[in-house]
Amino acid sequence: MLKIKNLTKHYKGSNKGITDINLTIDAGDIYAFIGHNGAGKTTTLKCVVGIHDFEQGEIQINGISMKENPLLCKQQFAYIPDNPDLYEYLTGIQYLNFIADVFEVSESEREARIETYANAFGITEALGNLISSYSHGMKQKLAIISALVHQPKLLILDEPFVGLDPEAAVILKNIMRDICKAGGAIFFSTHVLDVAEKLCNKVAIIKDGVLIKTGKMEELVQQDTSLEDIFMEVLCNDKAD
Amino acid sequence: MIKQISTLTKLQLKNLYGINVFRFSTDKSEKKKKLALAATYLFLILLFASYIGGMTYGYIFIGLEEMIPAYLIMLSSIIILFFSIFKAGAVIFQKNAYDILASLPVRQTAIVVSRFIRMYVENLLIALIAMLPSMVVYGIFMHPKASFYLIGILVTLFIPLIPITIATFAGALITAITSRMKHKSLVSVVLSMLLFLGIMLGISQMSAMEESFSIDMLQDLSKTALRIIQSIYPPAIWLGTAMLTGDFLLCIACISGSLLIFALVITVVSANFHWICRGLYRTGAKHNYKLKHLKKSSVLGTLYHRERKRYFSSSVYVINTMIGPIMAVLFSISVLTIGIQPIQTALGFPVDLTVVAPFLLAGIFCIMPTTCTSISMEGKEWWIVKSLPLRTKDVLDSKILLNLTIIAPFFIASELLFVCAIKPDFAELLWLIAIPVLLILFVCVFGITVNLKLPRFDWENEVTVVKQSASSFIGGFLGFVVALLCMVPCILVPAKYTTLTKLLLCFLIALITLYLYHRNNKTNLQEL
Repeated sequence: MLKIKNLTKHYKGSNKGITDINLTIDAGDIYAFIGHNGAGKTTTLKCVVGIHDFEQGEIQINGISMKENPLLCKQQFAYIPDNPDLYEYLTGIQYLNFIADVFEVSESEREARIETYANAFGITEALGNLISSYSHGMKQKLAIISALVHQPKLLILDEPFVGLDPEAAVILKNIMRDICKAGGAIFFSTHVLDVAEKLCNKVAIIKDGVLIKTGKMEELVQQDTSLEDIFMEVLCNDKAD
Repeated sequence: MIKQISTLTKLQLKNLYGINVFRFSTDKSEKKKKLALAATYLFLILLFASYIGGMTYGYIFIGLEEMIPAYLIMLSSIIILFFSIFKAGAVIFQKNAYDILASLPVRQTAIVVSRFIRMYVENLLIALIAMLPSMVVYGIFMHPKASFYLIGILVTLFIPLIPITIATFAGALITAITSRMKHKSLVSVVLSMLLFLGIMLGISQMSAMEESFSIDMLQDLSKTALRIIQSIYPPAIWLGTAMLTGDFLLCIACISGSLLIFALVITVVSANFHWICRGLYRTGAKHNYKLKHLKKSSVLGTLYHRERKRYFSSSVYVINTMIGPIMAVLFSISVLTIGIQPIQTALGFPVDLTVVAPFLLAGIFCIMPTTCTSISMEGKEWWIVKSLPLRTKDVLDSKILLNLTIIAPFFIASELLFVCAIKPDFAELLWLIAIPVLLILFVCVFGITVNLKLPRFDWENEVTVVKQSASSFIGGFLGFVVALLCMVPCILVPAKYTTLTKLLLCFLIALITLYLYHRNNKTNLQEL
């Protein structure tokens, strides 16, 4: 579904960035991407979704190159950033309709999906208000609905649980599972290791722009250990080296 | 209190002109870009300073040295007033920092004064550019006493105070009136435009009244000029006189008066600061929306709809870009009501106005196109466009389309008025339509080109993009300059070649526009 090969991106005039990232996310995967602040999680995700250009490497979505055919690639996924800066001058429903127009979703389909997800997240009655009046959590919910309105095969999420109330977090986890069951895939960054351990079948740990560990969750996390232990061990070992 | 003002002012100034970013950014290319921009601004400042110096010499040469200080004080005050009047409200009541400052133990007066000082620093540059070169040239040729320079420097430092105080008061008043309205942006635009037109009308009426008073004005041009300045802006005369006569008392009296007005305005604004901010940032949330039928639009249609919403959500953006079209309509109205001949005489135009009218009209329409800042206006929401499956062409076309639809009603009104006024024959009518249309298309596309080269997304206040960014400066005025430059060959060539010249110019403009349009559409938005 998503193949990241030798991805390298460094910010101009700075040492920060990511180096030689290799990852493969298959259909049915819920893939957690973890690392400390500034490790390169957001940079990787932004390169994948086309917000950042990159110097080296290749990103393929369902075999299509992001560099060669970005429009076709972008039609297949949805992205939610860590800070949902949405168009504050639009109302919630105008924003959702805008996204549906961009993905050319039919009128009946967009109406049905918006109704389903807006009701699930409990923001239907606020959809007529300007986004500028929304709280952080409401913006996050709107961003999630907008990502689901065109039923993408691949969801790329940056810290999706930040700002969500517990009920919304459960709903999102269920949606993520449903997408995977239907043959889709999820690639998301998080600091909540507990959620990652319970929800994901695969995990990648990044440190200072370099992938330290990748693999299946069940292989990495053995009995009597947790993802938190693995994460701390990896970081400590790296520091000792 | 002083410490609070000083801390908040430092915070404001660090953000100004991207100084802090320049100091601490590790991005070398960003630094180079900023340095190149600073060099361009320096060049323009030198150009303007040379112009002021030359003008001063010219006035001395024709014996009008008596009016120089007063004239320059008035000129810089009017420029400062126009630069600050539309942004004062946005700067004083800027939203981004309100939540943080409201929770800190900071006095309202300190917040207002710090924001005022920020505007003062920005505008002091205008006063310095206008006054210093003039004082140097005046000093070389007129050998005034030392008091001239002392009072001159003191006056220069205080020139921005009165216009900024007026702008702050007007801005605060408009913001206060509109803060609790539903359509605050729209009402704010209307009120600001009325204020702008009122000032323009007031200045023109006062100067016109003075001119009609003095039939024998040529006998004493200097006194006539001073009388006109006195009727428009009396403090300029008082401060100018203080400079020429070395009257420190008069100078101090003027400065004290302006400080008193400033203190009064600050007190009033500070007392109502939180009330206005609360009204401004209050968001009406009804929570009673029921899902209705959703209409599907084309990608370009939906992008255009979004552009339109974005445009009308920002009063600063609307005001800044509406001045050109409104002035064009006013120009056409005056041509219709006063007649083309008196305007030609008043403007001191050496050629038949009907020949150059299409260029003049186009030039006014080309001031501040929306496109020259429309990419920067995306700000922190730019990630949406970058991550969605959108073609560069559709994104840019929607921005051009918005500019054209905003200009269209004003353009049609202007053209109709002009046609009624000058009653052109078929060929003249064709030029009157074709030249402005082509130049407007050019400026819309050129605006995009400039903004693609000089985008700025890291802003916190819309004023930074709309009024202070490099792209608004270059894209905002270059169209006007190009229109005027196109006029020159039409004036210089013999009458029988005018049509051919216009034809060649149109062809050239169309060619450049098409080239820029195709180049813009090839841009990889990811690289911005």
